[in-house]
Amino acid sequence: MDKKEIFISAIENNKGLIYKVAAVYTNDIQDRKDLVQEIIYQLWKSFDSFNQQSALSTWMYRVAMNVAIYHIKRAKRKVVTVPLEEQLLEFPETDNRVFEEKLQVFRQYLNQLNLLDKGIILLYLEDKSYEEIAQITGISETNVGTKIYRIKEKLKKQITKQG
Amino acid sequence: MELDDLKNTWEDISGRVNKQQHLSPEIIEKITRAKYYPGFKKIAYPEITGVIICIAAAVFVILTFSRLDTHFLQGVGIVFIVLLLALSAISVLSLRQFSRKGDVNKTYAETLKDFAVQKIRFHKLQRINATLSYVLLVTTIVLLSKLFGNNDITNSKYFWIYSFSFGYIFLLCFTGWVNKYYKKTLQQTEALLIELVS
Repeated sequence: MDKKEIFISAIENNKGLIYKVAAVYTNDIQDRKDLVQEIIYQLWKSFDSFNQQSALSTWMYRVAMNVAIYHIKRAKRKVVTVPLEEQLLEFPETDNRVFEEKLQVFRQYLNQLNLLDKGIILLYLEDKSYEEIAQITGISETNVGTKIYRIKEKLKKQITKQG
Repeated sequence: MELDDLKNTWEDISGRVNKQQHLSPEIIEKITRAKYYPGFKKIAYPEITGVIICIAAAVFVILTFSRLDTHFLQGVGIVFIVLLLALSAISVLSLRQFSRKGDVNKTYAETLKDFAVQKIRFHKLQRINATLSYVLLVTTIVLLSKLFGNNDITNSKYFWIYSFSFGYIFLLCFTGWVNKYYKKTLQQTEALLIELVS
């Protein structure tokens, strides 16, 4: 297999990861599609720098979340990517509206957190170990534990406040 | 909804997302091959247009500098040129900062730190920009009336009354609005930065 084939296979095996990061860091469908494209493009551009010291998915999470941060900055300027065929990056939901609503409610909770906490909680929800969360975010494992505890408390308070 | 409920919702979302079948090898190939992201050009157009206008205006004043026949008007002319060049430089600096994409292999915390620093720097430049724009406005009025109407508006007491009273009120309101607009974002960014470096 050549490099591109390996890359395509890696993306195919981890595409859920890309879509989920994009879903958490964007607020509408078009923006999400743009971010998915951008993440794949940046993963390809930096594929050579993957040194196999960590799991491929760990590296992909790190790149995807970093790209999402830069995307936030650019998205405010209404940067538009070259559109691929419209249907290509759709979420193939039969009940798309229900899915979008659910996602919207989910994001409302996450948007109450700062970007660091948002990233940590995304990885926590993805069942990542503290060690892996630490590798992706660059904070210590102990710190990860403390932060998750604080985020839980914060969310609980906000949920109580909202009644 | 507690975090555990949130987790259930997320699992449901994940399940649906994982059913995504549309990201085929052909699409991945297309994304990697195509220069699909002409973002920089799109972002740069307004800034580049602004810089061209500023430079053109500066060149115009340089070429017609001899028509500024008093030391005061010449001083205003120089301030005008310097301001236009400064505003162009700020615009280019903002653009560079804005379009700079760091190393995506860094850790998430490092990227956030870079992001926060860039954001704070960008807002500082915006504040400077707002203040300089007011001074530019005053100098523009003086020069326009001289260069196009051969009228030294600075001899008029009304000019001074309006530019320093209404103009100053305008400046206060405008910079106040700029600060208010950015205050919350800035506070959040600074708090994040403190959290990241502590």
